Amino acid sequence: MPKTEDNPLGPHFTYRLRAALDAIQPRFSQPRYLQPLGARPWRFAPAALAIGIAGMLGLTAYAATGSANPAVWTERAKTVIEAPPSPTPESKPTPPQAAPPPAPPARQAPTAAPSERPESSSSPEPRESPEPSPSPEPSGDHSGSGGPGD
Amino acid sequence: MGEGYQPGSRDDFDRLYRTAYPRVYRTLSVILRDPDEAEDCAQDAFVQAFQAWKRWRPDAPAEAWVHRIAVNRAISYRRRAKLRSVGEILRRLGRPAASVDPAEAATRPDLLTALRNLPPKLAVAIVLRHYHGYNNREIAAAIGVSERTIGTRLRQAGERLRAELDAAFSLEARAAFPSDKSESYAED
Repeated sequence: MPKTEDNPLGPHFTYRLRAALDAIQPRFSQPRYLQPLGARPWRFAPAALAIGIAGMLGLTAYAATGSANPAVWTERAKTVIEAPPSPTPESKPTPPQAAPPPAPPARQAPTAAPSERPESSSSPEPRESPEPSPSPEPSGDHSGSGGPGD
Repeated sequence: MGEGYQPGSRDDFDRLYRTAYPRVYRTLSVILRDPDEAEDCAQDAFVQAFQAWKRWRPDAPAEAWVHRIAVNRAISYRRRAKLRSVGEILRRLGRPAASVDPAEAATRPDLLTALRNLPPKLAVAIVLRHYHGYNNREIAAAIGVSERTIGTRLRQAGERLRAELDAAFSLEARAAFPSDKSESYAED
């Protein structure tokens, strides 16, 4: 590969250059490419994991509250933590007294509350109203059913 | 042409490292003034080359390929170092300048000093041509420019070296760097 015989700069320059550069001896050092390749990328793995977890928490909080303000997230977390002591299913025996308290947290409650709320609110009142009507007033039913039959 | 190297072969890369590392290090020592910087860049260049060793094609000399990686890294390194040195100069404004050690100045090889004062691309062309013995085509392939560009760089490097070196070497260099024979590089 080296090709020096047709040097247009003359032999003296090449000689001096070789003498100067050959005098430079690299220090012996362990080849860096022999080091495990995985060492460098994994060095930042904990930081990347922490950033990923923080990002997921932020997105979850944003999706739950609809706000990007962390103060809202903490406020919402407080309401969620305080919400369980007033669950609606246990308030069935006392409908008039239990109904007002759960109403305010129901609008601020997290995703868990709405799933339970439709069952509790729809089950007591609408189902009770049709049940009593057929048994005590059979005649009324006949008259009522005759109407639509016409 | 491929010196018997097989792309992806670990043994061949070890052999390439043993053969080429000192030569690559010397090339970088012309671009970078600090031995530690030259060693750091040379090691990083071999790491990069090792990662791309499977993709190396034997149609070009392996050492020239490593040289290309190493020179690019060194030029980038020197560019960043220059930016850092500008910041350092700005911080040192108003303070007395650091004095040069007379003993070091007396023993410093003039030729290396003159080469290090050249722009890196010119110095690399000179070293690859006159130390490693590449021809213009091989230098062009190693650096990634045209042969004409290499001829121009060699001519400019010769002219600037002649201006940099002392009078004793200038007498010799006038014969070595004839300005009217600049086309001799392009005819290689």
